[in-house]
Amino acid sequence: MSMQKVVGNSHPGRTAADKAKGSGRYTDDLQLPGMVYGMILRSPYAHALVKSIDTRQAENVPGVLKILLPWEVPSKRYNCSGNPPSALLMKDELILTDHPLCLGDRIAAVAATSPRACREALQKLNVVYEKQEPVFDVMEALEEEAPLLHPEMGDTNLVKTIQAGEGDVEKGFEESDFLFEEVYETPPIQNVSMEPNGCICDASVPGKMMVISTSQTPFQERRILAELMDLKESDVRVIKPFMGGGFGERQQLHSQPVAALLSRETGRPVKIIHTREEQMVASVVRHSARIRMKLGVTKDGWIRGMKIEAWYNTGAYATHGPIVVAAGSRKVNYRIPHYEFRGHCVYTNGPVSGAVRGYGNPQLTFARETMMDTIARKLGMDPVAFRMKNHVKTGDHLPGVPYPLLSCAVDSCVEKGETLRRAIDEEDRKNSLWEGKSSQEKEAWGVAFCCHTSGPSSREGMSASIILINDDGSANLLIGSADIGQGSETILAQMAAEGLGIRLEEVSVTAADTGTTPYDTGTFASSQTYVSGNAVSLAVEDVRSKVMQGLAENMNLPEKAIAFQEGYFVVSQSGETLKLSLKEAVKRITFGAKGGIITGSSSYKAQEAPPPFAVCWAKVAVDQKTSSLRLMHIIEAVDVGNPINPEMVKAQVHGGVSMGIGYALMEEIQVDGQSQKVISSDLLHYQVPLAMDMPPVHVCLAESWEPSGPFGAKSVGELATVPVAAAIANAVAHATGETMVKIPLSGRFRPDVGLGRWQTSGKGRC
Amino acid sequence: MTRMRELILHINGKKYASLIADHTTLLEFIREEGGLTGTKRGCDSGHCGSCTVLLEGRPVYSCITLAVQAEGKQVTTIEGLSGEGGTDGLHQIQKAFIDHYGIQCGFCTPGMILSAKALLEEKSEPTPEEIREAISGNLCRCTGYTNIVRSIEAAVKERLAAKGGGEGCPCKR
Repeated sequence: MSMQKVVGNSHPGRTAADKAKGSGRYTDDLQLPGMVYGMILRSPYAHALVKSIDTRQAENVPGVLKILLPWEVPSKRYNCSGNPPSALLMKDELILTDHPLCLGDRIAAVAATSPRACREALQKLNVVYEKQEPVFDVMEALEEEAPLLHPEMGDTNLVKTIQAGEGDVEKGFEESDFLFEEVYETPPIQNVSMEPNGCICDASVPGKMMVISTSQTPFQERRILAELMDLKESDVRVIKPFMGGGFGERQQLHSQPVAALLSRETGRPVKIIHTREEQMVASVVRHSARIRMKLGVTKDGWIRGMKIEAWYNTGAYATHGPIVVAAGSRKVNYRIPHYEFRGHCVYTNGPVSGAVRGYGNPQLTFARETMMDTIARKLGMDPVAFRMKNHVKTGDHLPGVPYPLLSCAVDSCVEKGETLRRAIDEEDRKNSLWEGKSSQEKEAWGVAFCCHTSGPSSREGMSASIILINDDGSANLLIGSADIGQGSETILAQMAAEGLGIRLEEVSVTAADTGTTPYDTGTFASSQTYVSGNAVSLAVEDVRSKVMQGLAENMNLPEKAIAFQEGYFVVSQSGETLKLSLKEAVKRITFGAKGGIITGSSSYKAQEAPPPFAVCWAKVAVDQKTSSLRLMHIIEAVDVGNPINPEMVKAQVHGGVSMGIGYALMEEIQVDGQSQKVISSDLLHYQVPLAMDMPPVHVCLAESWEPSGPFGAKSVGELATVPVAAAIANAVAHATGETMVKIPLSGRFRPDVGLGRWQTSGKGRC
Repeated sequence: MTRMRELILHINGKKYASLIADHTTLLEFIREEGGLTGTKRGCDSGHCGSCTVLLEGRPVYSCITLAVQAEGKQVTTIEGLSGEGGTDGLHQIQKAFIDHYGIQCGFCTPGMILSAKALLEEKSEPTPEEIREAISGNLCRCTGYTNIVRSIEAAVKERLAAKGGGEGCPCKR
């Protein structure tokens, strides 16, 4: 229980009741007057040329208002990713294209008075395609004879090679007694937010545009759309309503440019909502990676050098590609004096890769943590002890990242997690005795360590906040921050309430509306707690100083007679102290002869991107005879600094664990070899974990404090999913004696739901 | 020319009459004709459960149920839950989901709560396994289901306590 009144205590989300009642309005729940519908014709081929499109039959479908063809739309290329401008963002995408480069690429679009009319019109478009030879494999795409997918970008399918590191890795290997080298492979996976991408675009008034959309980055979208449509940012308004998840799926523009053009052409607002099939085929996937990793260690277990060369499949368009590659390279959690990273981002005709929870880190963490276990085994060292020996501490820097860590509570993570692990084993032993456990299964634990970031690791995170103090002492918090379900609006309101000495219920929040809230870089890189939180804290400080100033003026006192302590404005006057709540202070200040309105604001640019840390343990039971694999327990201990809302932090970990389980065991984009079509384009064939698939998940919060963080906090959103796949793979390796170098494991093992496992639900939690 | 027919459905105890085509799904009727947007469209192919409503108290995927199949039957959507056993106009199950952090983005929530309601009508003391099985037709990507199961378990306990039954309940006679 926190000493603070609001921060550090758990509160259910501010909008939880709306969601429970079904009264929260998501993009598809909203209507604008005169609104019509849009739909996109998507390429059925991974690589083709569109020779002609006959629209005559389609035009006659009742309700059709406009058909847009690729040669009718601006041919300005853009980068769809919701990131601040960067030289690493290749402008290689067209709004509509007659040279589709992936299955699902946008070719044409239709606006009609109903979705049904749209669908009928699309079906009646007579399109003549000339199929082209596709290339799906990264290594093949780099060969001389491979088709050049983006001649406008250069003469190779290599988008960019990112290099990072420090020291001299060959020297490091010379200093090592043992060298380990392996190639690891990780698959592309879907984000699978439950709400499909959608937008409503109103460009019916010339010179202006309003967009309501599933967006993680309203301000980046405004910037890109304004440029695409030749508008001023002040005339473009992007609003994010209730949103059904994100995970990276909406950290890039989806159908907004098409909807904008259709709206301009029809003079009506246009709504485009993805079908689930579109979502599975045409929203971004996680970069699949082929990672060659070489590690050198001394015989007593010190890591001297690490060399990584990795190939990332970015698919048909680069989107975030090079940044994903760079970001992953900056998240090594061990002291490694000699480190060399080379990451190649490569175009193929595969699904477009973009932002997915973890952003390059899950891939490298899988490889690294699997190798760490291999090394520990070879050296005869305990896997946890080996990692702790080499782990960074406060004051160290991550390899290749020249900034010292201000907090690292991995010791607390290990202590709490190991205590819990022993308790679980004890409980399991008792249960198996009276259950008569089968001896065919081999049970084993696996562990993985990782770190992530709080805000972009390039230190470009920015946020601004405005606080309006109302005359009754309540506050309106205006933040550009986008809550995508993770609860950012709630914790930012908690920070404001704590800082102003008022209750959470006295803070209203307006967020993620570029017309009424100030800039926020976006909901990605796990920024909201740290970057947006610091912005809110600065705005709160601004409010407090203005209140103190106002009180001083009002009471004819010098400013130094007023202080803010433990939620109250303390006025020292002729030896006496007067304690005023915000409400009382505002009452004195606002109206009357010396009246004034209190408004606080801030602009915050991140100087740090403090890594949160996690340790994940997985317990599995493997039956080699039947190739079945049963997940028994997952423990994840996280160092998130000081948790602003502990239950919400744990809830984030639960969700991250489930995504990690999917990544490790069952999620796979399946493409039929013959037709080259995606088979897993629905939620039956693309398997995400169901309630029945989940083992008990136990979360521990480490004792920690980040000095540069708002109320000592760091992030958790992406961290939560990063170590899970490696922990599971390591557990399977312990159970079978065979290292897993490739995920998902569904190719090797059949996940077994395991009856009777839930007898002990709820036990053993931290 | 699509044949249109008049259809009257009873949703949450209210009558909704509309002229619809035969192929109109129950989901389309609820959202477009009924204006009730609490029921969500997550996949439109009966795989995700976001569109779950109760038909005569049993959970169905409204996206693969034809509107005409609901003729003469009671349809319950999330908007139809209120008051019962709870406070602030919230159903006891809704309150349990809020109090036990079972809601994040909220998109799966209406379907999830209705599946839970149907389970609790059928079984007053479901085992943890039965709870998980009952909601395995409702996908959630945010919560990992952990707090959802806890929320439902809490609702079960509360219900039993209110009825004066259940193991270890002090008010058991």
